[in-house]
Amino acid sequence: MPAVLTVDPRSGVPIYLQIVEQVKRSIALGVLRAGEQLPTVKQLAIDLTVNPNTVARAYRELERGAVIETATGRGSFVRTEEVEASPRVAVEIGRDALELALREAKAVGLDRDEVRAIFEAVLERWFSELPKGDSQ
Amino acid sequence: MTYIEWLRIRNCLKVLAIILVVLVALAVVLRVSVARYMSPAQWVHHMSLDPGTHESNVTLPDGTKRMVLDNPGEQMHAIIDDHGSAGTHIEVTEPSSRAHKEKDNVSVGSVHVVESRHGTMTTTIIDTNGAVPMLYYMAIADFFALIVATILAAPLAREINGHLELTLTKPISRLRYALGVLGVDVVGILAASVMTVAAFYLCQLLFETPRLDFSGVNTRAILMGIACPLAWYAMLCAATTWLPRAYGALLGLIPLGLLFVGLLTLVPTSNVVALFVHDVAWVISRFDPLTYVSVASPNSEGSMNYSGANFGFRISMEALFFVAYGALALWRWQRVEA
Amino acid sequence: MSSIKISNLRKIYGSTPAVDDLSLEVPSASVFGLLGPNGAGKTTTFKCMLGLARPSSGEILYDAKPLTPESFERIAYVPERNVLYDWLTVDEHVEMNRRAFKAFDAARARELLSQFGVDHRKRVAALSKGMRTAVMVACAFARNAEILVLDEPTSGLDPVNQRHVLSLIINEAAKGNSVIFSSHQIGQVERAAETIAIIDRGKVILSGLVDDLKADRKIVEGIFPDVGFSLDGIANDPRVSRVDRTERIVRLLVTAGADEIAGRLSASGATGIRVLDLNLEDIFLYAVSPVTATTDIVTKELSS
Repeated sequence: MPAVLTVDPRSGVPIYLQIVEQVKRSIALGVLRAGEQLPTVKQLAIDLTVNPNTVARAYRELERGAVIETATGRGSFVRTEEVEASPRVAVEIGRDALELALREAKAVGLDRDEVRAIFEAVLERWFSELPKGDSQ
Repeated sequence: MTYIEWLRIRNCLKVLAIILVVLVALAVVLRVSVARYMSPAQWVHHMSLDPGTHESNVTLPDGTKRMVLDNPGEQMHAIIDDHGSAGTHIEVTEPSSRAHKEKDNVSVGSVHVVESRHGTMTTTIIDTNGAVPMLYYMAIADFFALIVATILAAPLAREINGHLELTLTKPISRLRYALGVLGVDVVGILAASVMTVAAFYLCQLLFETPRLDFSGVNTRAILMGIACPLAWYAMLCAATTWLPRAYGALLGLIPLGLLFVGLLTLVPTSNVVALFVHDVAWVISRFDPLTYVSVASPNSEGSMNYSGANFGFRISMEALFFVAYGALALWRWQRVEA
Repeated sequence: MSSIKISNLRKIYGSTPAVDDLSLEVPSASVFGLLGPNGAGKTTTFKCMLGLARPSSGEILYDAKPLTPESFERIAYVPERNVLYDWLTVDEHVEMNRRAFKAFDAARARELLSQFGVDHRKRVAALSKGMRTAVMVACAFARNAEILVLDEPTSGLDPVNQRHVLSLIINEAAKGNSVIFSSHQIGQVERAAETIAIIDRGKVILSGLVDDLKADRKIVEGIFPDVGFSLDGIANDPRVSRVDRTERIVRLLVTAGADEIAGRLSASGATGIRVLDLNLEDIFLYAVSPVTATTDIVTKELSS
């Protein structure tokens, strides 16, 4: 499982948020399954070469969001409820990405119709030929 | 904590050992090359073979083997008393020749030769295996010990010069660290003296079995031989612990400077300037441990008086210098910052 | 458990303060990164912490107790400059540490040395700058110390060995030990440190959790239709710490509330509103040299 987690410390996004987002994404993609154990804070810190307290903060954040649960002495596990909700998580991820794109489109001064035209064209490109296409 | 200092001493004594081994090797070469020259025993043997020499041997009541050689033709008369391990006493009376001096008194190692002329005849008395004064050994040992002391001096300055971050982050107080280092160096300097004495004893052993004389002036020489290099070492430590760098140059300059000061004290006090120079040099030289190195003082006849007058004062000064200069170095070390 | 607390540290050389009223706290089981331009006072701070320099005033406490010679059983230090003995071999340095420190693990030191690629039989004089750093680092991490004070522990090392040092630092934090380190490689600090302080001319000018600093500090950019635009008092908002105007473009460095300020900028007529993330290097540059920072951000955008 650590293989799918990577952090970019040079990015402006806080490292703990990068970890939180990637764990959520891994669940949405089915890489992390219900009840699956996450690496220990220490192990993940060493694997990613980031501060252990930063990893601990990410785990706390994931617990608060009810994504994982931590049993003292046993480790952290992916919550079953979270996995059942994974289609909803996928929707969230897709919406965040689109929102970012639309915000940028608005910022550069495109109007509603122009954006819609672009959207249709892009939609056509990604979803017409291959029904199994990627969400992004 | 004193590991580094031990390594320094090891390196320094290694060099000294090499020098001493070379000296011993030279002594071996000398021993081999003089083997064919006459020793006193060979000389006696040579005389006994002269034509006309009459030889008679007796054993005296105390076990001494006495040989008497008589050569009426050459007016030579010799008595040779062999005392075994205590040496040989040879008395030769023969006509004076140009080689003989009015009166001569020579000591080479343990061999003591006295020549005296009575009219046309000269008596030569040779004593082999006499006592060897430790004074000689200590003079040589002092020389080497002072060099080693000069090389080892400034252990604290060496740390100041680029290693404080290592030295001062060990779990030991500064004072204990410095005392340890100085203590180790003291051992190193004493070891240099002992090694030198041992090497020169070995050299002499190649020629004869010397009987060492530790009495009187020799005891004082040993004490002075120990105290002086240590006082000298402490002085150099005190002088260099102030310096963040260039301690090496100072170690080289101080001996030269003090030598120069020593020479200035000999300036004849013929005018005011000379008197002033002399006085200043004299005052400076009072702080130099080498000024007090002497186990004798000139007496009114101009020859040396080995009676030990002043020795108490001189050795006390050396001890005082060791303590005072050492304390100065320690005090400065306490205030050092990286 | 080992924490470091520095209060109002001041160190004056002659009449110039090298460290001026510096306070910081390193909790136990954490990694603290000390950043600052050359001559900012990082090394002097470390020297005062270790008693190598006498503070002019202020207090340094380890677990609420002042430093004593015995403390060095627990504190490992990697100085910035090379302080090894040129005439000794690497092995002899290991031996020196073994004799000086009870908890020193010589086998671990040799293992680390071989990981760094240092030939332990060589004399230090024959080692490169990076290898000398590696010797210091290997000996420090073999100390089993609870507090590690590392002044530029990666200087001169190649990228692989730099990463190795970072792993060692993280490993120490994971074991519950405290590390305070300085580095000019801000990317390393960004990775390994949880908390940072940026110091300049002896003073702390910015400190906090790396992630919080990144989350709060943003650049808000907007484009106005005319050159003579007015910011309607946005510039006076205490969260706006810097305003850069170039022609019709305005860039605001905000320390919090980026989205709200972006909204206000939009309301005052700006278009093309963007909120840019800042990494630690950007934050560092804005803190110590705002002019360089702006140039840097602009070039980065142009190239992207």
